[in-house]
Amino acid sequence: MAPVASRKTLIGGMTVIGLVMLWFGLTTLTGLVTSARFPSPAEFWLSLKQINGRGYAGSTLVSHAFHSLKLVLMGFAVAVLTGVPLGLWMGWSRRVEAFVNPVFLIIRPIPPLAWIPLAILWLGLGDAAKILVIWFSAFVPSVINAFTGVRNIDKPILEAARMLGTPRWRMVREVILPASLPMIFTGLRLSLQASWTTLVAAELVGALVGVGFVLNMAQQDIYPGMILVGMVTVGILGWVTTLLLARVERRALAWNVAARD
Amino acid sequence: MTSPSLGFRETMLLGLAGLASFIGLWSFLSVSGIVPAQFLPGPLDVASRFFDLLTAPFAGATLPAHLASSFQRYAYGVLLAAAIGVPLGLLMGFFRLLDDIVTPLFDGLRFIAPIAWVPFAALWFGTGIGGPIMIIFAGAFPPCLINAYRGARFVEPRLIEAARMLGTPSTRMILEVLLPAAVPSIIAGLRVSAGLGWQSLVGAELIVAAAGVGFMMVQAQGSVQTPTVMAGMIAIGLVGMLIDVLLRQGEGWLRRRRGLES
Amino acid sequence: MGSISFRNVDKVFGQGTGGVKALDDINLDIADKEFVAIVGPSGCGKTTCLRMVAGFEAASAGSVLVNGRPVTAPGPDRAVVFQQFALFPWKTVRENIELGLRNKNLPVGERNDLVASALKLMNLETHVEAFPHQLSGGMQQRVAIARAYVLDPEVLLMDEPFGALDAQTRVVMQEELVRLARHNPRTVLFITHAVEEAVYLADRVAIMTRRPGRIKEVLDIKAVRERENWDSHARIEDVMDLESFVHLRTHIWKSLREEKGFKDV
Repeated sequence: MAPVASRKTLIGGMTVIGLVMLWFGLTTLTGLVTSARFPSPAEFWLSLKQINGRGYAGSTLVSHAFHSLKLVLMGFAVAVLTGVPLGLWMGWSRRVEAFVNPVFLIIRPIPPLAWIPLAILWLGLGDAAKILVIWFSAFVPSVINAFTGVRNIDKPILEAARMLGTPRWRMVREVILPASLPMIFTGLRLSLQASWTTLVAAELVGALVGVGFVLNMAQQDIYPGMILVGMVTVGILGWVTTLLLARVERRALAWNVAARD
Repeated sequence: MTSPSLGFRETMLLGLAGLASFIGLWSFLSVSGIVPAQFLPGPLDVASRFFDLLTAPFAGATLPAHLASSFQRYAYGVLLAAAIGVPLGLLMGFFRLLDDIVTPLFDGLRFIAPIAWVPFAALWFGTGIGGPIMIIFAGAFPPCLINAYRGARFVEPRLIEAARMLGTPSTRMILEVLLPAAVPSIIAGLRVSAGLGWQSLVGAELIVAAAGVGFMMVQAQGSVQTPTVMAGMIAIGLVGMLIDVLLRQGEGWLRRRRGLES
Repeated sequence: MGSISFRNVDKVFGQGTGGVKALDDINLDIADKEFVAIVGPSGCGKTTCLRMVAGFEAASAGSVLVNGRPVTAPGPDRAVVFQQFALFPWKTVRENIELGLRNKNLPVGERNDLVASALKLMNLETHVEAFPHQLSGGMQQRVAIARAYVLDPEVLLMDEPFGALDAQTRVVMQEELVRLARHNPRTVLFITHAVEEAVYLADRVAIMTRRPGRIKEVLDIKAVRERENWDSHARIEDVMDLESFVHLRTHIWKSLREEKGFKDV
């Protein structure tokens, strides 16, 4: 296996180096791409220095990033804590499913981002509106996957638990929940992704602080260096949170064959 | 043990009860004045506004005209994503070198929310039609690429071996073995792309556009016309649902034809 | 105590004209500590019989009794061993075996003792903390059997328990089950489509017809086994070579072959 992996790393590394050289060549060396279109490496570096030192759009990059991260985590947490139990309940009880499903079918086709104007109308440009839209967007994948998780549990597993005389609450905690956990985590991954998309969009539409706000200001100032800084930050934040979630998942699903492979 | 299936009657009754509670709660909050009607108009107000907008212009156009302009951008963006994503994915599935080159780049860009491309999109292609198309493209591209790639990469190895044994050259291998084998996966990817593209379109129009439903909603938000905002949401939801239903039908038809489902 | 009775049991799946009759007038009495195997063609409803005793399905007509009382719901007095093991993948071997005892609210000390003896009984002591996916199929089925045995159930219901195992593992498990059943007899209802397995394990074998399933014939194996002293042979292949065994097996095969559509099986 080792040669395959190192071949991959080699080609991947060469690609990245080649790309950086291409970037440098097109912007700085030849000027084929002007700095009004895309920043040169030097401009990118200067923008990064500026936002870390003097700050941009009201504060430093770290505090913008921290603010966005905080909102995503809060919205995500609210969505998961409401969505997963609802999904589990709908999966468990056909009655609850029948009751909730039509409402769900009506609301679901509305893209999460379409809630942004309404959230701003209701709650203004502050944090509350952002948490509300993140909730709406991250809620649906959590519900659907928890629901599917329960419905896809192997029937013999449930029968085995009933045969052993498992009481109701223990059934939920020790059978239904762990059995649905792989699907629940699939939902959480989608929810997290949706949270970031929604937050960035909401901050682009209207905000006073945050990574999306940096992007928004940089766009208005026609400041490509800072746009790139904002985008890289969005990417890194998304990457780090996804990585953390994957780590939690690996730990929680240590028993799962599929998760190991 | 999940509870047993319900009869048709009970399902309908419970469903109606659910809808009634939803609409009842909404109406109650609005009519009772707990939430000012300015911010939460009742269902009837929203419905009547929706029908008004079919003929009366707002923010420069009627609702159907806004939808038409949204849909045009959307179609361009999704078609572009499919036209580039699917062939690239197939080639990556076949040529290992291309796979090794593109995958790290793709993995790097994957974590950037499509909507974060808005500033560059506006800078490069303007806020008219080019910018939004690029954002729709950014949203719709990844599933096209990934599914075509997976479809081609994970073709039953015996099919490829059989084709090799028959002396099939590379081009024919791609066109007559990999592509047909990957079709179900590609179609599934296109359906996901279509959904994500529609999402991105809404986001793009909220931020950079001079027409379209998203633009209409932002304008309505600015002048605190909540019924118009909600009518816009309904329109977006309806069109999104329509797209999904049509693509599902297409996918089902295709799968049946291939004998993958009865 | 643990006796099972089927009294004029019918089972219909679906409703109205779309209904399919799966079982037709099943009558069978299984005495306390008796090992009865049901054999029959695929789809004859033999598994349905077991599921009704377990409480997973209700009879459409007639009654299913355990110790003279009608079955209403599943419970730990009627432990089931499933064909696909149905272990909890997120629980270790110990936790899988322990769950039923925890549900009975036994004190920790007693629980540990029972688990330890079940682990010993099924030769699982070296895999106590393993997760099911780390075990071979045979080991997983040992865990499932231990999970059932540890409850000390009145009735043990085994639904083609060795059907998913490879041939060699299967033989080992059959020998172990014989060892268990002879030294520590329980009331067992054993479902299988493997004729040799039924003859080797059971005290009596009930043969079912094709759908709608009826009990066609019940053979007394125990009388032959004791008369011919099968249990003096430790190995299954030696038992299977005995003329008395071959005779019974051939009889059951012929009986099954008479069933219409036998060749579709």
